[in-house]
Amino acid sequence: MRIADQQLFGLLQGRFQQISQRILLAQQQIASQKEVSRPSDDPNTFGQIISDKSDLSRAEQRIRNVEFGASRLDAADSALATVNQVLSRIKELAVQARSDTATASDRSLIAKEVRELHRQLVQVANTEVNGTSIFAGTKTDLAPFVLGPGDTVQYQGNAETQSVEVGNGQRIQITVPGNVIFTGPSMNLFDGLRDLLASLESNNGTGIETGIGDVDRALVQVAGTQGTIGALANRLESTQRSLDDVSDLIKAALSRHEDADLAKAISDLTGQQLALEATARSANRLFENSLLNFLK
Amino acid sequence: MSGISQLLGIGQSGIFAFQRALSVTAHNVSNVNTEGYARQEAIVSETRPQDDRPGQVGTGVQVTQIHRSFDTFVDQQLLASQEQLGRFNASHGALTLVEGLFGDSNDLGLGHDLNELFNAFQDVANNPADLPSRSVLLAKSQTLGADFNRTAATLTDQRQALDRQVADTLTEVNGLLGQIAGLNAQIAQAELSGQQANDLRDQRGRLIKDLGERIDVTTVEDRTGQLTVFAGRGQILIDKNTSYGLIGLPAGSNSGFLDVGYNPGNGAPVNISSVVGSGRLRGLLDARDQAIPRLLRSLDTLAAAVATEINRQHRLGFGLDGSTGVDFFSASGLTAGTFAVALTDPKQIAASATATGVPGNNANALAVVDLQRAAIASLAGSTFNDYYRATAADVGTAAKDAAQHVQAEELIHEQLENRWVEVSGVSLDEELVNMIKYQRAFEASSRLIVMGDELLQTILSLKR
Repeated sequence: MRIADQQLFGLLQGRFQQISQRILLAQQQIASQKEVSRPSDDPNTFGQIISDKSDLSRAEQRIRNVEFGASRLDAADSALATVNQVLSRIKELAVQARSDTATASDRSLIAKEVRELHRQLVQVANTEVNGTSIFAGTKTDLAPFVLGPGDTVQYQGNAETQSVEVGNGQRIQITVPGNVIFTGPSMNLFDGLRDLLASLESNNGTGIETGIGDVDRALVQVAGTQGTIGALANRLESTQRSLDDVSDLIKAALSRHEDADLAKAISDLTGQQLALEATARSANRLFENSLLNFLK
Repeated sequence: MSGISQLLGIGQSGIFAFQRALSVTAHNVSNVNTEGYARQEAIVSETRPQDDRPGQVGTGVQVTQIHRSFDTFVDQQLLASQEQLGRFNASHGALTLVEGLFGDSNDLGLGHDLNELFNAFQDVANNPADLPSRSVLLAKSQTLGADFNRTAATLTDQRQALDRQVADTLTEVNGLLGQIAGLNAQIAQAELSGQQANDLRDQRGRLIKDLGERIDVTTVEDRTGQLTVFAGRGQILIDKNTSYGLIGLPAGSNSGFLDVGYNPGNGAPVNISSVVGSGRLRGLLDARDQAIPRLLRSLDTLAAAVATEINRQHRLGFGLDGSTGVDFFSASGLTAGTFAVALTDPKQIAASATATGVPGNNANALAVVDLQRAAIASLAGSTFNDYYRATAADVGTAAKDAAQHVQAEELIHEQLENRWVEVSGVSLDEELVNMIKYQRAFEASSRLIVMGDELLQTILSLKR
């Protein structure tokens, strides 16, 4: 076999090119810290990365949804805690007023305080979060409870609820409409209070007795809603935990799919640099052996 | 007397022959780095002997041939490899540019836009009455639209750029054909008078390889040393000293892009695009008419599906202003290039499923969100994301295949080139040895003449 000079040069050139390409690849991986950054790097894995990113984006959005829902339920829960306190205070006052020793003027004084508490309840029932009424069903742009003449209160919201998406086909309700809490389902709290106020002012002992029963039933109704809200909040909380887990898992998968193994990339780089040096040295030796160096 | 002058003649023949051989060696040495140069060799043999007693006496040496070390078989294989290399390099170059459109790794591009779009729908579902959330949704939809448009425009630009390359390549091919035909004539003329046109043949070989890199050809050498060059299915590109050029034929059915036309010199040019089997032209045509249009069609399908499905659901809902039956995206056209957001008023985003549920009802927004993971009939039952993912993987596979073809072909080409150089390349060591060999022989021949002169002196001194 003849060895022509162009073969030697071509071989060297090819080797240098190959090694340079590998060095470039390792450097790119180290710089971007990514092993797969173009579809052709690994078409399947690239597809997997697209899926991972979509899954991750969805999981993170659902975490935001859950946080949003939790803040709405928290607001409702603390509003209902106030309702509970106010109702308890009304009951206390009504029990005082029921006493046989209470005079008509005592009862009318108590009526004044109960009326203030009644107004406070209306205010709480119209609670807004960021300009959105939370007890209006989906009529969130309205103050749902309107005070009319003679201590009457009208509900002008609707019975719809709002849900957020927390999983494939999974939704969790994040609002409870006011008609379930205040004007139903078992009793209309505001009607009961209106009647109680009338009884207090008209010095009607039997009416006050009935009113106390109404307040008790109202307390049960509110407590029932608080239970519902607590259960929804629990679901959100456990969903959040599993979404956090899912998002961690996806991040791990994504990293597995696209991240470069830095240790490997760096050792590749070092290895290739060595190869380059060795090639350069051997090239030098190769030309030392040329006949040219011996013909003087 | 005649014996001595014969001696001088033999010495002279040596001096001439080895001088010639040294010239050949020098020519080799000086072309050690010339690509496509085939090593030459001075073939020497005895000159015709003289009849004498008791037998024939030699008369010296002569150079009978300047031999060109050349292996036609390897050369043909090298040409074929060059053709493949030209083809795969062209398609690889085009696909590498195309796959750059998939910026998913850096959270750019259509996949990312789709995720953002559905997230924006979720935010509207959380806060249906909130105008800023709705404006964000419109902005995200416009980003998706702009990226669809930009991708389609880039791909169309790519096709046009490839078409210009086709035109340029055709011009180059015609230039090469003219040069090869010219060399054919020179070689025939030189060899007619018994010469060997070694260097002209080297030049022609180089041009044939340049030609092969652009279009696949078959060559046949006739008895006069001229190459007949065929393209495709036997279309004659060069016949002796005449070349028949290729021209670009604009195809009306293909956006006016050029087909490869063959001009037989009489009558209308023939479209030979389909019979161009290899070379850069094949790679360019494949990328321009196959790979990129396929990707464009996939993106059109995706764009149409996104617009149609979201519109269908959106029309069922109610906007903050009570509007219903409104399209979210423009319903006309429905290609990636024309994809556009139809809504301009964020109040018209139909988040509510009921007229009475406005503004807090979000059921329709959630129904749109469900489309993100729905099996879409027009996408053969895959989700938007899966379809996009398959499209990206498809382009990736094509680009990877092309890269692997280039790598494999480069390897083959390197081996063949090695083989070619092994036969035809210059080895300096070998030439140096030859140089010493011929130099010595030259010296010895000159000694013969000196010796002949001394013999003559001796004879002349006899008569004193």
